[in-house]
Amino acid sequence: MSNDIFFLAEFAGGGPARSALEMATGAAELASQSGGSAVALAYGPGAADGAAGLGAQGVARAIVLGDEDRPAISHAAAAAAAVRDADVLAVLAPATPNGRDLAAALVGMLHVPAFGPVRSATVTDGVLETEQATLQGSVITTARPSDGAPTPSIALVLAGTFTPAEGGNGSAEVEHPPEAAESAFARATVAESHAADAKVVNLEEATVIVAGGRGVGGEEGFGPLRDLAAALGGAVGASRAAADAGWIPYQLQIGQTGKVVKPSLYIGAGISGAIQHRVGMQTAEHVIAINRDPDAPIGEFADLFVVGDLFQIVPALTDEIRRRKGTEGA
Amino acid sequence: MKIVVCIKQVPATGADKRYTDDLRLDRSNVEAIINPLDEYAVEQALRLLDDGSVEGVTYLSMGPEQASEALRRALAMGGDGAVLITDSALVGADEWATAKVLAAALDKLAPDVALMGMASDDARGSLVPGAVAAMRDLPLLSYGAELTVGDGVARARRLSAAGFDWITAPLPVVATVTDQVGEPRYASLKGIMAAKRKPMETWSLADLDLSPDELSGGALTTVTGTRQPEEKAPTERIENLPPAEAAVKIADWLAARKLI
Repeated sequence: MSNDIFFLAEFAGGGPARSALEMATGAAELASQSGGSAVALAYGPGAADGAAGLGAQGVARAIVLGDEDRPAISHAAAAAAAVRDADVLAVLAPATPNGRDLAAALVGMLHVPAFGPVRSATVTDGVLETEQATLQGSVITTARPSDGAPTPSIALVLAGTFTPAEGGNGSAEVEHPPEAAESAFARATVAESHAADAKVVNLEEATVIVAGGRGVGGEEGFGPLRDLAAALGGAVGASRAAADAGWIPYQLQIGQTGKVVKPSLYIGAGISGAIQHRVGMQTAEHVIAINRDPDAPIGEFADLFVVGDLFQIVPALTDEIRRRKGTEGA
Repeated sequence: MKIVVCIKQVPATGADKRYTDDLRLDRSNVEAIINPLDEYAVEQALRLLDDGSVEGVTYLSMGPEQASEALRRALAMGGDGAVLITDSALVGADEWATAKVLAAALDKLAPDVALMGMASDDARGSLVPGAVAAMRDLPLLSYGAELTVGDGVARARRLSAAGFDWITAPLPVVATVTDQVGEPRYASLKGIMAAKRKPMETWSLADLDLSPDELSGGALTTVTGTRQPEEKAPTERIENLPPAEAAVKIADWLAARKLI
């Protein structure tokens, strides 16, 4: 009987990424349903020292695939060997570029069922059961492994599906993966790295996001949005139109081909709300839209729709928030 | 040097879509298009053809017979020929089965680069390229904003946390590109006419030496139900107010939810 729940735990800059904490929490939840253990497949800078700390999220064991800064998919052979070596019911992978690459490699190497990106996952009747939004979010489908399908099931999990548990004081037992021959994936290497001029925040970690779109009109138009984000302690994001126009780095693009975010507050200014943007932010807890067009599609799914000129409303809102926080003029 | 671009035919964005009683996507009476994210792969391949980096571009699709329309549309943009894999045993194929079939077809076509879009627009799946690479034991260059080939290697410019990297791998490779490649070209009238005369082959599973049994009936996964998404609370609106008054109302709304 396979009942352990494995998950991909990415480390960056010395600590676990938010996705690692979300997957750890999800794996612990599913393991309690399957009667097994949550086990991390940890990789990236900081994984060797930090993997034991995932015990705080209820993780029993952590297998460290590698501590180096190299393409995530180069760990595929070690990850597959670790999964083959255990009785695993499911592997949870974050629906990020790295998580997708590694999950796909596992599907191809292990010939096992693939799900996702999913918005919920449970262990039901002893198998992984998932829910997925398809057809641009118009239908929710429930899916399971076919009868007799091999384990484990691999699931891509959307950001925000699991909320990281408050840290306990547990410690995960750290292990090395079994020996594995290198796969072809290791032949892809980083030839050059180019850093951006300015530091770019990781939107996936932000709890408040103020995003701008075509209506912001230019690079300087993001100034008032940055002021509002600063007043709220948040970060600035953008739609594809603004990134394509070169007003803001692509790292800050939210949507189907950019970041998928789940802040507690998302404010979209001058963003029409095309489906491609919507899929990147629709799980935000609270959505405010500010747009001159009273018929903008974003008005259909925002919680609060403010019809008006963002260049008047955004600065006024910044002033009002500073006034209430007692930081007027700061 | 040749490229095979894998494309998927999907229902048009915004089309009225539904599931059939046996929980499969009803693809009848729905306008079908090339998966928009695959068009960037077509564009990238054609740019490499235009600048002489590669000599041939072939399109590969798996789907029902009408997926030949998507292949014709790609051929109208440019390229040399196309292969459609269609077989009644593939109805309802999941990502694993799709990857297995494409991997077998790519083994037969043996391109230097198998190029795909970063995800599909309908199910938003994205596991096929990596699974194909694993099955063929080839390197994967994923999420390229630009792809170059030459001197026996492929290079992909990929967004990093704080800038970009050039990732490189010896040919042959499987690669995916993003929408940062640049806008796909339109098919000209001349291109549409020329596409009608370009060769298109149709392969069945037997042509790939695959049996339905090896594909587990087309899927290792089963859709067990569908439902409508949860109804969302109605949107509150603030309009026709001077900015300062609107700002006070927004701040009140935020304060009521403990967001400030």
